[in-house]
Amino acid sequence: MISFQNATKYYENKPVLKNIDLSVSKGEMVFLTGPTGAGKSTLLKLLYASELPDEGEVTVGDFNIGRLRPAEIPLLRRSIGVVFQDFKLLENLTVYDNIALALRVRGRKEKDIKGLVLEILKNVHLRHKSDNYPLTLSGGEQQRVVIARAMVSEPSVLLADEPTGNLDPDTSKHVARLFYEANIHGTTILIATHNREMYKNTGKRVVRLENGVLLGEEIG
Amino acid sequence: MEHLSYSTRTAFHSLMKEKWINLLSSLTVAASLLVSAMAIITIFNLENFTRTLPERFTMVVYLQDSVSPEDTQKLIGQLKNKDYVSGTKYISRDQALNEMKRTLKDVSNVLEGLDENPLSSSIELKLKKESVTAPAVKKISEELKKMPSVGDVYYEAKIAETVYLLKTSIENMSIIILCIISFVVLFVISSTVKILLYRRKTEIEIIKLLGATGGFIRAPFLIEGGVIGFFGGIFASIGATVFYYSLTTSFSAFMPILKTMVLPVEIVVLLPIAGLVMGVIGSLISVGRLRL
Ligand SMILES: Nc1ncnc2c1ncn2[C@@H]1O[C@H](COP(=O)(O)OP(=O)(O)OP(=O)(O)O)[C@@H](O)[C@H]1O
Ligand SMILES: [Mg+2]
Repeated sequence: MISFQNATKYYENKPVLKNIDLSVSKGEMVFLTGPTGAGKSTLLKLLYASELPDEGEVTVGDFNIGRLRPAEIPLLRRSIGVVFQDFKLLENLTVYDNIALALRVRGRKEKDIKGLVLEILKNVHLRHKSDNYPLTLSGGEQQRVVIARAMVSEPSVLLADEPTGNLDPDTSKHVARLFYEANIHGTTILIATHNREMYKNTGKRVVRLENGVLLGEEIG
Repeated sequence: MEHLSYSTRTAFHSLMKEKWINLLSSLTVAASLLVSAMAIITIFNLENFTRTLPERFTMVVYLQDSVSPEDTQKLIGQLKNKDYVSGTKYISRDQALNEMKRTLKDVSNVLEGLDENPLSSSIELKLKKESVTAPAVKKISEELKKMPSVGDVYYEAKIAETVYLLKTSIENMSIIILCIISFVVLFVISSTVKILLYRRKTEIEIIKLLGATGGFIRAPFLIEGGVIGFFGGIFASIGATVFYYSLTTSFSAFMPILKTMVLPVEIVVLLPIAGLVMGVIGSLISVGRLRL
């Protein structure tokens, strides 16, 4: 489903990802870990074509990231749900509309949207904040809105960048459970995280990235 | 069509949020459209006016003194057959003299001691509208002068020239004005939308990351441009109506001809539509260039 073959990415002539070889099969759940600045976010950005690889090949499903036609970019992104590290919520939309936007860009009917949004809001325990604007929410609440937006469209691939960075241990556990549930239902998931609790004793692959280089993997 | 209601809501949200920019741009559009409306009203009325000019135009054919009644009848018949003549009126020299006496009634001593009628018989010609142009009239008068029995041909050259000049210059002017105004309106709206695009740059970046297509991103801006143009058109319609009533009421005291001015109703309806269409096109110019 996801594969990197010898992929390299430069920022201002400095390599931030070097000869990455990694593949995640359909329905798999993989964790990506490593110190700050290792290149985790950059690796995920390549997958939703926010950045393009300078060398090597990156593919997601049938999409070859280095060779996307402009019209394919929205199609690629609609097959993916992303939990952005910096949230990327729209300040002038309510929590409800922020989450609904993920369905609207996918052309879903308004009458279906309401049920789906309210249900996912319940799952992240934010049903009562549906009419709030993002800036009136705590960091942890905003993070759960981002998670809800990424999951509401039930994408076949879910990418999460530090999804528990702003959450207390209990809420982190709850969010982790949401990811596992999605994975059980067949979603391919790649999660970048420092949070050891998230992958400890899960039996999932944990890939370690340092200085833009993959240092191998272990089972969590 | 599915995301239309979302686009509309986004458009109106942005219209309200950036209300000062949008109002300013709407008023600029209104001013431009108002100028073109005033031009159209003026042109329309000048056209109306010049249309009545050919009806007022007469060409007088003076007969030679020696012409017999039969030749006169024959000439009238020939003139009636000309395809540029719409009517003829024969005025005998006696009628002409009576007419003159009547108009000079108060100063009748002018005509005293006149033992012979110095006037000629004449035929007044009305010409078909399309023949009342300076070159055509000149050609006709030359043609008529060559006919037997005709002494001289007289006409008010200025009227024919004026009609011709007015007509061509009005047409040219209206084309130039409409071109300039369309350009101005498109420029104003596309610049406004460019500002709106710039202000919503981060928002657009995020929506793109969520997988939105170009159409999804562009639609609110097209609606917004259309609304700005539409309101510009409404303001201009109001302005044009006020302009018209102040001309026909207040100013007609100084210039009575203004009383006969007509406000074409179509213009009041067309301005908002023109604004809407140009708004969408202007917005398309900016938003079409958007790299997605
Ligand atoms: N747009 C950019 N321009 C230049 N350098 C960048 C850019 N984005 C990231 N970098 C650099 O690339 C390296 C990897 O950044 P990245 O954000 O991928 O790290 P990360 O592993 O996600 O870190 P963290 O755990 O803190 O989120 C860093 O050294 C960063 O400074
Ligand atoms: Mg990061």
